Amino acid sequence: MKENNEQILVSRLLQKEEAAWKELFEAYSGSLAYVCSRYIIDRDHVNDVLQNSFIRMFRSIDSFEYRGNGSLKAWASRITVNESLQHIKQNSNFKIVADETDIPDVEIEEEPDLDEISQHEIMEMIRMLPDGYRTVFNLSVFEEKSHKEIAEILGIAENSSASQLHRAKSMLARKIKEYKMSKTAQYE
Amino acid sequence: MSNEWLNDLRRKMEDHTEDVPDGLWKNIREELFVEDENNGIPGSVPNDLKAQKAVIEFNWPLMYRIVGVAATVIVFLILGGLFDFTGKKHQPEIKKQYTVEDNFQEKPISNPVANYSEKDFGNQFFSPEQKGKQKKNSGQEYLKNSLTGINFSSGINLVDKSEIDLQNEIFSENKLTQKENKGTTTENPFVEETYPLMTKEERKKKEESEAKKLAFNKAKRNWMLGLGTGNASSNSTDQFPGYASLTGATPSLPEMWSLGSGEDPLMSILLANQDKKVDATIRHKTPLTFGASVYKNLGKKWSIGTGINYTKLSAELTSGSQSDFISSEQNIHYVGIPVQVNYNVIQKGAFTGYLTGGGTVEKAVSGDIKTKYIVDGAVKQEIKEDIREKPVQVSVNSAVGVQFKVVKYIGIYAEPGVGYHFKDNSSLKTIYKEKPLNFNVKFGVRILLD
Repeated sequence: MKENNEQILVSRLLQKEEAAWKELFEAYSGSLAYVCSRYIIDRDHVNDVLQNSFIRMFRSIDSFEYRGNGSLKAWASRITVNESLQHIKQNSNFKIVADETDIPDVEIEEEPDLDEISQHEIMEMIRMLPDGYRTVFNLSVFEEKSHKEIAEILGIAENSSASQLHRAKSMLARKIKEYKMSKTAQYE
Repeated sequence: MSNEWLNDLRRKMEDHTEDVPDGLWKNIREELFVEDENNGIPGSVPNDLKAQKAVIEFNWPLMYRIVGVAATVIVFLILGGLFDFTGKKHQPEIKKQYTVEDNFQEKPISNPVANYSEKDFGNQFFSPEQKGKQKKNSGQEYLKNSLTGINFSSGINLVDKSEIDLQNEIFSENKLTQKENKGTTTENPFVEETYPLMTKEERKKKEESEAKKLAFNKAKRNWMLGLGTGNASSNSTDQFPGYASLTGATPSLPEMWSLGSGEDPLMSILLANQDKKVDATIRHKTPLTFGASVYKNLGKKWSIGTGINYTKLSAELTSGSQSDFISSEQNIHYVGIPVQVNYNVIQKGAFTGYLTGGGTVEKAVSGDIKTKYIVDGAVKQEIKEDIREKPVQVSVNSAVGVQFKVVKYIGIYAEPGVGYHFKDNSSLKTIYKEKPLNFNVKFGVRILLD
């Protein structure tokens, strides 16, 4: 069977060919920076984590298994998520918001409409979420982890993960709604 | 509330990217690859170390490198101390000058909306011929560049190639400096070391004129061979709202709405930034000058000098927002001939204080502009254009100099001064144009020959 581009790149990466690693960087650094910025707000820290992620990839490329198109990117993203979480844990100021009273638990009935909101705006909204909410939200929505897995990763209780996610969702939905309203208001 | 919207959210964000700082790859590369290359060349620029190493091994014996590096280190160590001593009172002056001269804001470029005209707009973005013309390039070439730029992998090749070009260039600079450095350490370098820098005719002429002068001035025939690096302390940065280009024209936004998003990376940038605050930043790097010169004493107080020098001017322009922007880098190389008259004011022990004044004629020998279009944090297109325009730059300068005799025949000097660069009637944007009046400090070594 003929190898596709991704497989060719992987075999070059395995030989630790500099040009191949540069190619990997050029191709994925932007989207990995996005993955990282979902978890970490400070730009400098994002860059540090990104750098560490690439170094981790370099050291562990031997363990990469090709499982079809896109698996290289998925693998790189997983490493970046792990590095991001590790960074969050090492930075002691990370805590799950325990005081549940400070955010009113408003149930939003209708589904927020994501059309006409740029990726950038959504990104900003996600980054505005409190650290704990955001981490759980990211793991659940983007990494598609179950509450059980999230609880294990973050060392919190399973139901705490569920409530964090619920609040994060309401908060984000409200932000999107507010954004939409302010947009409409501008045109009227 | 169902969770369907979260799946939409994930799908929507799937291809999102954030911008990655320029230096990150360099850091990673250093971390992963540099140690494998065994030691790089000290002070090497972010170029392909492999290639550089290969060239050096091929062309230059180790001796040259060691001698060159050692001489440079010694010179700079000594000069560092000297500059502290001589340069202090000049430094604040320089700063002040730049804030006062910072008249960039008044230029039309700073107000894109007000100065916008459909013609500019069309020229800049939608007509390849016009754009090509403006950038001193043919439309055909522009199209060709665009095509290769769009292809991702050949884009990379382009970069590599230009990197290698740049690296070769830098290497030839090194060559020059090393030659000079060798000059400083040889016993009698005058004839052999200055001459390779000239053509045969020049050499002949030079020999004749020297013979004349030597005959004319038998009593006091003190020649000095000088070599120096100039360091105009005018690294300048200007920031203003809107877009800008190194060739002068100003892009603008409002008309974009009706045109829709095409494949043009510039278009994508403008569209991505349509509701963001955009800034253009021009950073002119400190001009770098290397030179070799000869000086001749005329009587006790006066001396004249001439030589040859090389100057590299670099500027960087970034235009757009954080994640979507145009980034250009302009490099122009000049070769020039300075003529100087010196007047010794005071001589105390090993120190000589002098006034110097003169002019320099410089000709641009090569130049290029590299432009990158970055959309959503990823390099969308990359173009390298050669600057066809090769203007002649005339400048006058005057300086106060201090020379310190290290050993009997070797003196080092520092010359803080002021220079004025005349308009060269070209469309090139250089630091000389932004700030024709320029404070600079030149360092160098002179060898005195009895």
